[in-house]
Amino acid sequence: MTTIQLSVNGTATETTVEPRTHLADLLRDQLDLTGTHLGCEHGVCGACTLLLDGAPARSCITLAVACDGATITTIEGLDEDEIAAELRAAFAREHALQCGYCTPGMIMSARDLVLRLDSADEQAIRVGLSGNLCRCTGYVGIVRAVRAVIEARRQRGIAAAIGAGRTSLGPVGSQPAAIATTTSSAPRAMREMEADRNVAVRTLDIPEAVPAKSFDASFIVNAAPAQVFALFGNVRTLAACFPGATITDIPAPDRIEGEIRVALGPLAAAFRGAARIDRDETNLSGRLVGMGHDQRSRTSTSGQISWRMVPIDEGRATRVELAIGYSLSGPLAQIARDGFVRDLAARITTVFAQNCDKHLNGATTQAASEQPQRLNALALLLDVARTRLTVLARRLRRQ
Amino acid sequence: MKAASFAYERPHSVSAALDLLANANGGARIMAGGQSLGPMLNLRLVQPQLIIDIAGLAELRTVDRDGADLVIGACLTHADIEDGRIPDVTNGVMRRISAGIAYRAVRNRGTIGGSLSHADPAADWVTTLTALGAGVRLTSAAGRRDLAVAEFIQGALQTALRPGELVTAIRLPALPPTARFGYAKACRKPGEFAHAMAAVLIEPDKSRSRIVIGAIDRTPIVVDDSSLFGGTLTNLKQQFDRDLADRLLMRAGVTDTADRHIHVTVLARAIAEAAA
Repeated sequence: MTTIQLSVNGTATETTVEPRTHLADLLRDQLDLTGTHLGCEHGVCGACTLLLDGAPARSCITLAVACDGATITTIEGLDEDEIAAELRAAFAREHALQCGYCTPGMIMSARDLVLRLDSADEQAIRVGLSGNLCRCTGYVGIVRAVRAVIEARRQRGIAAAIGAGRTSLGPVGSQPAAIATTTSSAPRAMREMEADRNVAVRTLDIPEAVPAKSFDASFIVNAAPAQVFALFGNVRTLAACFPGATITDIPAPDRIEGEIRVALGPLAAAFRGAARIDRDETNLSGRLVGMGHDQRSRTSTSGQISWRMVPIDEGRATRVELAIGYSLSGPLAQIARDGFVRDLAARITTVFAQNCDKHLNGATTQAASEQPQRLNALALLLDVARTRLTVLARRLRRQ
Repeated sequence: MKAASFAYERPHSVSAALDLLANANGGARIMAGGQSLGPMLNLRLVQPQLIIDIAGLAELRTVDRDGADLVIGACLTHADIEDGRIPDVTNGVMRRISAGIAYRAVRNRGTIGGSLSHADPAADWVTTLTALGAGVRLTSAAGRRDLAVAEFIQGALQTALRPGELVTAIRLPALPPTARFGYAKACRKPGEFAHAMAAVLIEPDKSRSRIVIGAIDRTPIVVDDSSLFGGTLTNLKQQFDRDLADRLLMRAGVTDTADRHIHVTVLARAIAEAAA
């Protein structure tokens, strides 16, 4: 959190914000100035336009902390403004108000055009307003209103001013005078953030969340259900069977902290997190609920895996039925499409099943399966692609 | 949409900014006006650990003459140039181009150095400054180096910036009064990112021309000879070799016929303007 000083609509204001807070959110959420509207939040629609040091700027893509020391005028601050008053009257007269959502931003941009445009040239006004979208498409009235105000003022002998009279250089709102108010050094600030993040992982309560995606899977292990269930109860062994998993701590019998590594080409994610295990001895079922965060890709995941041991082959073998649900958020989530994750999970499940089988039937040396394995997702995906191509080729040949 | 958390620093000098950058081990992003970075943060396409805000640095808001060249600080805004708050050594080219960048509210904060560092292929400065033969000054703790904009832009969103380096100034060569410049771009609406753009510089005194085709998914196409006009600089409009332009675009990976048609048409408009 950073403390900044702003002059908002003529009032000196000291406020504390997170660095990521943009100016519009600060005004709306902390200062209750809800006249500044938010539409797209990436600088296209213009609804959030306000005056920063007297010049129009987008408040949704301007960080509040970057405006320390700046003068801000929102639509609420234009009540006494002469041009805004003329524009209000003209907007009302020309039916330029419509639903009103775009109006604060329109007034801000229109006021700037009234100040800067030499003549009430319609094309210039339209181009000047092109950064403000009106979902009612009420542009005709808006343009007419702005033209009327410009025309009236020029007739009254009020000349246009290049740059609306601005003389200083550089981005509006960023005050050379206000710098050096932040004192923390970056490494410290970053360390604090890292600490916050680590604390967040350490002390997290594993929440019960409804996963965004879910699917089922199953595999067969050549061992009795009770044996498999027991294996699922031994956290260390279970993790050893799970590709890429490492346990860092078991703070309580039902709780695991650790890491799962996945590599996808140049992308390598290491999800650190914690999980809780619930077991139901009578039904030979259980559930793991966990969440993790990959520091490097800033991707978070949460999910749950439920299992149920179903006896097959007269109880000599077990079909493990899994219900997997997960949510991903962050950059990797944009890459990791649904089918992609499903294929990946299917491959992980297969390797996991093989490892469980090996473990229970002693087919391999303990050391090999106890070693945490690194899962190469790219290799797995190529494998998936190959499998699919083979299937496709077979189908084509059949026809 | 809201940005993910990051730490924020506003250093008091370029050297302090460079220190922060060097100590951040690649986890930091420089922010000037934030008009390109802001949307990317909000969309969470970029999630830096640290943002180093250089917008307030007086050192980067400077204007100097170096012989006939004008050297301007990286933190000058598009609006600063549009309004003529700095001298114009390009016969109005810089003013005109800046007036066509995005919207006034964006131009009041967006900076020329930020735009170049971001290296969006559809950005007006990438194409224009390449055509003008402008240079860019990069500063790091180790010192500074000057590159031509054409060398600086290495691909879509790719620049020659090394870790720990910062764009600090842009060098604008003075255009002779006889130089002719043409510029055109195709946008679905004014201020939008362009699907096609072209800049044409003709210097009759030196029998020299430079044609730049931008807004393609890689570095702009630069034609430094008069091959697009059949080897001469007389009768530019009539001599314009559309087929050659089409082949150059094809070679640059613009495979869609309609896209190439738009690029060639936009180039023809820029040439017509330079020839007028």
